[in-house]
Amino acid sequence: MTSNVPFDSACKSFEEDLVLYYYGEISDTERRPIEQHLSSCQSCQRFVDDLRRLLPQMAKSEEFPQSFWDAYYDETVAKLAKQRERKYWWRDLLAPMRVWMLPAFGTVAIAVLAVGLVLGKGNLPSFTDRSPKNFPLETLSDAKQLEFFESMDMLESLSKLEEQDDQKAEPNQSSSLRFVAANV
Amino acid sequence: MVDQREFRDEELVTLCQQGQGEYFDLLVRRYMEKAFHIAFDFTRNTETAKDLSQDAFLRAFSNIRQFDGRSSFYTWFYRIVVNLCLDHARRKGRVVWESLDSLNETPGEQPQLADTSFQPEQEAIAGEAKRRADKTLETMPKKQRTAFLLRNQQGLSIADIAKVMKTTEGTVRVYLHRAVAALRQSLVEFV
Repeated sequence: MTSNVPFDSACKSFEEDLVLYYYGEISDTERRPIEQHLSSCQSCQRFVDDLRRLLPQMAKSEEFPQSFWDAYYDETVAKLAKQRERKYWWRDLLAPMRVWMLPAFGTVAIAVLAVGLVLGKGNLPSFTDRSPKNFPLETLSDAKQLEFFESMDMLESLSKLEEQDDQKAEPNQSSSLRFVAANV
Repeated sequence: MVDQREFRDEELVTLCQQGQGEYFDLLVRRYMEKAFHIAFDFTRNTETAKDLSQDAFLRAFSNIRQFDGRSSFYTWFYRIVVNLCLDHARRKGRVVWESLDSLNETPGEQPQLADTSFQPEQEAIAGEAKRRADKTLETMPKKQRTAFLLRNQQGLSIADIAKVMKTTEGTVRVYLHRAVAALRQSLVEFV
């Protein structure tokens, strides 16, 4: 229904309080002066009346049948179950264990490790034993190749040394040749 | 099978945090309608509202260990729903508001703005008023709209809205006042 009353807003100093008053979000001490003002101010009264007419209509939402909510719930719960499955997959592995078994297993594991370390202390050099018999075959073949290349390097170095020696010997050799030629 | 006795939210959250995730289903049962309606108020689309609200439940569940109990569960959960709706609106560029007319096909169920007896002319006026209200909400700043929807449609207290929106109660009051004043202004010729 349209109103023929010319529009005028609520008093500026009260407008915000009137909105809160409508929503019941105002303390008792604040309420009294507002109600006093409302009893004497037509514009503010009209403002609150408008809110009472308009706002509940806007709050109306679509109604959905129960079957919609049942389907919604089932769907959501199924999605959650899938998420839980992904999140707690490791629990299935530990499921057969009882609660006390986990710390018990931990203690046993630590004890075994400690005993192993104590008993294995004398055998520590075995870790540093690098004799070829302990190496796998692939490693040994690589090592042989390495030896070959090393020997090649050595041969190369020897030939260089020989070349150097030859270069040193060359001047003497030419002088001796000259000497032989002169004698001939 | 989950024990059906009445649990408080905090008890259910604690059980979930202790690894009994199946108790979260009770929180779904408790808050599904509210979560859906918030998302519906923001999107005006049934499927989108369903997806967003269900996504909110999934996120709440996966982050349940981070809930520290400083606020109530529903405030914490509403925040997740509202943030998802705002993110969705941001991605879409704007909130799509369908006309409320399409939601109320049955004449007897038509919302009434000013009168209880409906005449064709009055129906047309009410329809136009609703379109105007939709338009006003659509163009309203997001924070004002959020505060308005949470208070007017969801009935949250200003204190709770402040927690959901991570702002002060004073700021929420201002948002709410501005939203209501804008709506009244746009609808003044229909009241």
